[in-house]
Amino acid sequence: MFLSGNGARLLSKSLQRTSPNRLLRYFSSAHEDFDVVIVGGGPAGLALACALGSKAEIQSALKIALVEAGDLFKVRDWSSPAGSFSNRVVSLTNASQTFLKDAGSWDHVELERTAPIEEMQVWDGISDARITFSASEMGASSDSHSGMARLTETLNLQRGLLRQLQSLPTVQILEKNKVQHITADETPGGWPSVHLDSGRTLKARLIVGADGPNSPVRSFANIASYGWSYDTQAVVCTMEHSPRGPFLGPNTTAYQRFLPTGPIAFLPISDTASSLVWSTRPALASAFKACEPSVLARMINAAFRLPDVSMNYLHNLILESHEAGRPITEEEISAEILWREQSHSIDYTSAYSSTTPEAFSENRIPPSDAEMLPPVVTSIQPGTVASFPLRYNHAESYIGEGQGSRTVLVGDAAHTIHPLAGQGLNLGLGDVECLSRCITEAILRGGDIGAYTSLLPFTRERYLENHKIMSACDKLHKIYSTTSGPIVQLRSVGLEVLNELDSIKAAIMMSAGSVSRNDHRPLSYNSEARTTMFDIAAKCVENLNTATRVAQAAGGGLTGLAVNVLQNMAKAAASYQNPSKP
Amino acid sequence: MFPTRLLRSSTVNASEIAHFSRLSSEWWNERGEFSFLHKMNPVRMQFIREKLLETAYDEQAEEAVDTKKARLLEGLDVLDIGCGGGLLSESLARLGARTTGIDASESNIAIAKHHASLDPRLGENLIYKHAAAESLLAQSKRYDVVCSMEVLEHVDNPAMFLKTCAELVKPSGHLFLSTISRTPLSYFLTIVMAEKILREVADGTHTYSKYIKPSELLDFFQTHRSTVEGDGTLTQSRAWITRLYSGEPTRKEAEVRGMIYNPLSSSWILAPRGAWGAAECNYLFWVRKPASEE
Repeated sequence: MFLSGNGARLLSKSLQRTSPNRLLRYFSSAHEDFDVVIVGGGPAGLALACALGSKAEIQSALKIALVEAGDLFKVRDWSSPAGSFSNRVVSLTNASQTFLKDAGSWDHVELERTAPIEEMQVWDGISDARITFSASEMGASSDSHSGMARLTETLNLQRGLLRQLQSLPTVQILEKNKVQHITADETPGGWPSVHLDSGRTLKARLIVGADGPNSPVRSFANIASYGWSYDTQAVVCTMEHSPRGPFLGPNTTAYQRFLPTGPIAFLPISDTASSLVWSTRPALASAFKACEPSVLARMINAAFRLPDVSMNYLHNLILESHEAGRPITEEEISAEILWREQSHSIDYTSAYSSTTPEAFSENRIPPSDAEMLPPVVTSIQPGTVASFPLRYNHAESYIGEGQGSRTVLVGDAAHTIHPLAGQGLNLGLGDVECLSRCITEAILRGGDIGAYTSLLPFTRERYLENHKIMSACDKLHKIYSTTSGPIVQLRSVGLEVLNELDSIKAAIMMSAGSVSRNDHRPLSYNSEARTTMFDIAAKCVENLNTATRVAQAAGGGLTGLAVNVLQNMAKAAASYQNPSKP
Repeated sequence: MFPTRLLRSSTVNASEIAHFSRLSSEWWNERGEFSFLHKMNPVRMQFIREKLLETAYDEQAEEAVDTKKARLLEGLDVLDIGCGGGLLSESLARLGARTTGIDASESNIAIAKHHASLDPRLGENLIYKHAAAESLLAQSKRYDVVCSMEVLEHVDNPAMFLKTCAELVKPSGHLFLSTISRTPLSYFLTIVMAEKILREVADGTHTYSKYIKPSELLDFFQTHRSTVEGDGTLTQSRAWITRLYSGEPTRKEAEVRGMIYNPLSSSWILAPRGAWGAAECNYLFWVRKPASEE
C-alpha cells in the first residue's frame, strides 16, 4: 500500500464527494458468495438462520448471510421492566416450541416473560353459544409442555434468536443493510445477486424471502400473490388487571368473543397483565386510539360482557364523538355502560358487570360465572395502544422459477393471515422448520439447495397445510361477521355440538398445532416406503371415518349410539396420529 | 456475458458457448424433458450414501462412523460414466468426492463443464472428460466408486461395458448402476406411458430389447472375476458374487433396490430392500469388488 491510512481515507472521501456512482460501481463489481441469503430479520428469518446454523452436519457446507434493513441492536438489547409487556405478542403452539427447542433457540427466550395458555373460551357475540378448549381435557399437557400454547412477546423471541445467533459462526448478520435490488445472473442457471445499499453485493445459491407481506424477494421472483384486505384493523395493547385470586386459579385462560365487528381476544401473559387483540372496523380503531386509554379499558370490559345491541350503541357513540372532534371521556362512557348494564338487568354482583365498585370486588368469593369471562381491565400500559390493518394473502408459489429461480418464500412473505386464531407466526415457524429439514436432506444427498427439485418437498409439504389453516381462519372471520338470523343459529348450534364432542375438538386442536409434531418426519423421497404406505392406509381409514360422520349427520341419524361410536373412532385415530402419547 | 473460465481455459469460441448454453438449459431445465432424472437424483444419491455408510459400519467401529457427515465422499476417487449434463457428478462432488465425469458425447461434456462453472462452490474436485469408458483402461488410475446411472440400457454391448466398469473399480471398491428391467410393466411405464402417452420423455429415448433384468446383472457378477496382479503373476479373484440365496445376493456382496415413481406426488421413492415387485421397472444395483487378497 502506498497510501497511509489517512491518505486512503482522504482519497475515499474525495471519491465520495466527486462521484458516488463510480464508487458504487467499483464496489458492486466485487461480490461475495453465500449459499443462503436470508432477507429479513423478523422472527421467521432469524429462526431459519438459527435452525440452519445450529445443525452440526451441515455447518461445513453452508455459508449463510442474514440481511436486515433495521438496526437489530435495539432488539438484541431490548429489555423491559418486569410486569410491563410489549404489545406485539404471539401464542406459540407446542409444535413451534418443539421446533425452537430442537434448534436450541428456546433456551435464549426469557421464560419468565411468557405464560402458558391452559384453556381457551370462545363464544358467539350474538347467541352466546360457547366452546371451551382445555389442554388438560385433551391430554395436551405433558412433561415438556404445559398448556396448548405459550404466549410470548415477539421481541422476547427475536432477542432470544439473536442471542443464539451470536454463538453461531456460520451465520453472518448484515444489519442496517437495505436490499436495493435483486438481479438475476446473465447466464441462465447462475446465482442471483442481492445488492445492498451499503454497496455490497451478495451472490446467493438460494435467497430466502423472509421479508414480510410486501416482500421484495417475492417481487423479484415474480411470484403472484392472491388476497384481499379485510375492512378490519387489529387494535393491540397490554392490559392490566388484578390477579384472579385463590378461587379462580392462575391467569392462564384465553378468551375470545366474536362480535359482528370482529373478534376480540384476551391473551394472558402474566398474573396481572394480558394482551389484547381486537379486530374491528378501521373507523372504530382510529376512534379508540384517539380516546384516553381509560376509555378503551372500559370499552374492552364492555365488549366481553354487554349484549351486541348495546355494543353497537357504544360503538356509534364513540364514532360520533370522535367525528365531532370531542373524544368521549371516561366519566361519560362509564355512565353509559352502567346505564346499559342496568337496562339489561345485569346484577352488579355478576361477573357480567364491569362497573362493580372496587371496594366490593376485593376479597370476595367470585360470582359463579367468573370463569366465563376475563378479569376486569383496570388500566392500559402507557404507550402500548396500536393498530394494524388485516390482510389475507397467499403467494401462488413458494419457489421462484425462470428469471426468479433460486428463491424461496417463508412466513409473511408467503402468506398473511387473519390473526383470529393466532396462527400467523406459527405458520411461519412451520415453514422454517420444514425448509431447514428440506435443506439438510438436500445437502446430505449432495443436492444444489437452490435448485427447484431440492425445494420441491418444502412447498409440497407446506402449501396445502398453510392454505387449510388460512382458509379456515378466513371462513371463521366471514361467518362471524354476520348478524343474519339463520347463520347465527347455524353457527351457534355448530359450536355447541362441537363443544360436546371431545374427540372432534381434540382433532381441531391437533391441526391447530397444539400437540407437538413428530420431530423427524420423512420428506417425500424417503426410503421408508413401507411407513409411507402405512401412513397412506391410515389416512384412508381416517377419511372413511370423516365420511361416515358426514353421512350420518346428513342423514340426520346422529343418535346417541352413533355419537359414541364416532367418538371412539376419532379417539382411536387421534391416538394413532400421536403414538408417543399413551 | 460468457463464462470467463471457459473462454480463458480454452480456444472455445463464443458462438459455441452460446450453443451449449442453450442445450444446457435443456439438461438442466428441471421442469423439462429431464425432470424425471432430476427427481431421481436425490434417490440415487441416497442409495449411494446408505450403501457406503452400511459398509463403513461393517468395517469400522460403531463410533467411527459419522452418519450425518455432509462431505461423506471426502478423499474418495469417484468416476461417473455417462455423466450427461453432470446431474450426478455435481452431487458427488458436493459430497466431497474427487469426481471425474466422462461422457461419449462431446456436447454433453461442454454442457456439464459450463453448468459446473456456474456454481462457484464446486471446486477443483470435479473434472469432466470427453471419453469412452474403454479409453480409461489404458491409464493405471482406478476408482473407489464407479457410477453409471441410466446408461446400461443405452449401450450396444452390455457385457463388455460391465466388464469395463468393473475393471475401473479399485479392489474393495464399489460399483453403482441404475437401469430399467425388461418386464411388461417396464414396457408399459417407460415406453407406452412416458414416451407415447404422457410424452414426458422424448420419443425414442428407450429401446425395450436393451433393457436388462436384475437377475442378468446378478448372473454376470456370479461369473465375473477380476484379474489380480501379484508379483509378476496374474491371478483371478473370487467371483464378485459368490452365491445367491433364493435368488438374492448377500448384503455384503451386492444389492438390488427398486425405484418407484409416484405420479401423484411426482416424486421417486427408494423401495425398501426386498420389497416385492419393486424392481420390475427402474432399479438400482450395487456390487462390491473383492479385496485384492480374496
